[in-house]
Amino acid sequence: MAIDSLPPLIHAQLSHLLTHSPLSIKVDRIWSGCNNSTYSDRFTLLIPFCLDYIKWDVIYNAQFPMAAPDIIFSPEDEDFLPFLMASQGEEEIPSTKSSLADWNYKDPARLLSLIHELRDIYTSYQRKRVGEIDDARLKFEINTVLSREGIEVYLVSGSEKPEEVKFAVPLLNMDLNKLVHGCPWRHQQKIYLQVIFPVAKKYSLAPAPRIKLVASSELRTFFSIEDVKLPPWLDGMCMAEYLPTFEENLGQQILEAVVSVNARRRFIEALAPLFGRPVEADPVFCRRATVLAASGVFTFLVHFSIPTQFPKQQPTLMMQSSQHFNSQGAPVMSRPIIDFPWSPRWEASQMVERIHEFLVEELGWFEGPRGVAIWREGRSRWVPCECCRSSRYLGWAFGKEMRKCAKWKEGFSVACRRNSIFPGHWSLVLVENKSGPESMKKG
Amino acid sequence: MEDDAPFEKIAISGPTLASLIQRSISSPCDIDGLLFGHVTRVTHSSLSDDSSSPSSSELLIPTVTSLISSSHTLSFYDPLGRLHLPSLRRLLPPSPAPSTTLLGFFIARRNTPLRPSMREFAVSLSLLSQTLTLDPKDPLSPLLSPSPPPSVFLLLSSSLSSLSFHTHEYRAFQLRRRSGDPALEPRSLDVVNIGPAFHSQYSAFSPNSPFPWLPVPTEVGGEGEKGRESSNCMRRVAKEQQQRGLDACSQGFEVGRLSRLMGSDAANYTAEMEDLYGKMLGKLESLARAVEKSSAKILEQENRNIKLRWKVAGSD
Repeated sequence: MAIDSLPPLIHAQLSHLLTHSPLSIKVDRIWSGCNNSTYSDRFTLLIPFCLDYIKWDVIYNAQFPMAAPDIIFSPEDEDFLPFLMASQGEEEIPSTKSSLADWNYKDPARLLSLIHELRDIYTSYQRKRVGEIDDARLKFEINTVLSREGIEVYLVSGSEKPEEVKFAVPLLNMDLNKLVHGCPWRHQQKIYLQVIFPVAKKYSLAPAPRIKLVASSELRTFFSIEDVKLPPWLDGMCMAEYLPTFEENLGQQILEAVVSVNARRRFIEALAPLFGRPVEADPVFCRRATVLAASGVFTFLVHFSIPTQFPKQQPTLMMQSSQHFNSQGAPVMSRPIIDFPWSPRWEASQMVERIHEFLVEELGWFEGPRGVAIWREGRSRWVPCECCRSSRYLGWAFGKEMRKCAKWKEGFSVACRRNSIFPGHWSLVLVENKSGPESMKKG
Repeated sequence: MEDDAPFEKIAISGPTLASLIQRSISSPCDIDGLLFGHVTRVTHSSLSDDSSSPSSSELLIPTVTSLISSSHTLSFYDPLGRLHLPSLRRLLPPSPAPSTTLLGFFIARRNTPLRPSMREFAVSLSLLSQTLTLDPKDPLSPLLSPSPPPSVFLLLSSSLSSLSFHTHEYRAFQLRRRSGDPALEPRSLDVVNIGPAFHSQYSAFSPNSPFPWLPVPTEVGGEGEKGRESSNCMRRVAKEQQQRGLDACSQGFEVGRLSRLMGSDAANYTAEMEDLYGKMLGKLESLARAVEKSSAKILEQENRNIKLRWKVAGSD
């Protein structure tokens, strides 16, 4: 059921939670506990914890929407008794200060504060559980690392799998959201190091932990954590030893990513003089730009996707016809093109110039419907054209390479002509198929 | 701290369970309520050839015989699970039947996992601990601080998977403190029923269900002579009304008539008996009608209440 099926008071609290929480909380499902289910009154929340989600069922009463909700925790957390923990004085929040103590149904922020309050108690519950494990290495890790701000631990236990302790260590004491101007991220971005320690059996050698770098998918447009190489975990190492050097290294890479954003911005700005102002461009991370180009009556779009490693890695180009569509009605697209001349040491204007020059040559295959047909076959290749002795490239779709287009196989003829729609001069090579487009497709 | 004695199982009489399930289906929303009954002590002794000293252990079996159900949750506790004693007093009978004690409470909620929730645990805990710290002068204390303290929790969850299948699930728990840590431990629920298979059980079982307690609204009079006078007056009026009600019930069944069943009039014994029986049936029928009418009125009022509540909550 949808969120709209909740009574207005409960709806207000849930939507406040979803929009205002700094955590990216999700709703798993919404259902009703009433006989006549005009309204739903229960939902499952997926709450991020320790780089995973915990599932909590929130139980309201649609007949009494003013009453405070109750929560059923997941089966693995049967021992989690928040009120008992709070009343034992292990928490800063005494139960009398709980948002449940004087529930105000008119305040839409109540559910948010309840969930956050319980999540805080849950964090210390997991710390307590991990602290009780009889494992010398884990005890050492906890004593040395647990004082770090924002660190979370989780004890994975089950009858089938071996016990493990997950650590989620927030890295870099910098606000990633403020690094890029105009950043659209709603949630605070953080890069975490996930370290999973298997709980060691007595008298057995402790195996090395599993390490993984984790960040939200939103961060990917700015910085790709897949590109980060994790240093190896040496025997007898501990986190306090591992973290500082790695963090320093990572911080350096983040700063490089900021530099790369600026390089990309300069590249996109340099597109304007040759291609005209981009039709569409990503103004924040400068990862994408699209320009509109025309050759005669033929108009098409050129999509630039610029990698995070720019300018070390060149952009990828895709051409999209605005006049030809495939059988599904989608516009005909070219293959991703990266084999244009490129050097990371060039100025942005020179990069754009070389791409422009290259594209003008590509156009030969774009102009006629025949060229489009070749694209659709997906076998287009680029070989130097020797017919006009200009060492340009020409499209090729017939399996065999043939450089001398003037001496083409029987049934085909090749002609060159000059085109002056784009600034500059170049040769266009047309391939004509005398036996008609059908045989060309088969070829 | 000493551990609480474990319950071997939790017993409930068939009719009580049936009425509990009926209550939970007919209610439009989640409900809660209190469970009453008595506790039987069973001593198990294990004699073995190996050990010289036979060990015996005492086990408790609480038997639920009656219940009081409210029409919604949060009826005698707050959202944090702390007991609200005035509401609890209102729910409990003023003079409980002998050998009936408060055993615990139940919650019936639909389409939910059969696991105790955060609040349900808190309520069990406060019911257990509150009774231990209750002032002996408190009117609740004879009912609330028996030995053992109320620690039964019955959780019901019914679900309607399709129109043709209704599933009623229930689980019983005992709140038990072991080395200071309280936990809700699941116990098997034994349904005591009438029938040949249950004969021995049933004869050992005392079905103590007192007549439902009907509270008479008594207004607390104001200060001074006048207030006392008016309250006295009201009490007298109430008493007279009660007497009149009882008289109406016994009309046609005067003691004098009973004498006609003996002595010289005994010849007409059969006719007299039939007359009495017929009248009794008539009375029962009118009673059933009255119940039906009042139930319809209650339903009407409940629907009106729901509408008012929704109006206040803005979900009209």
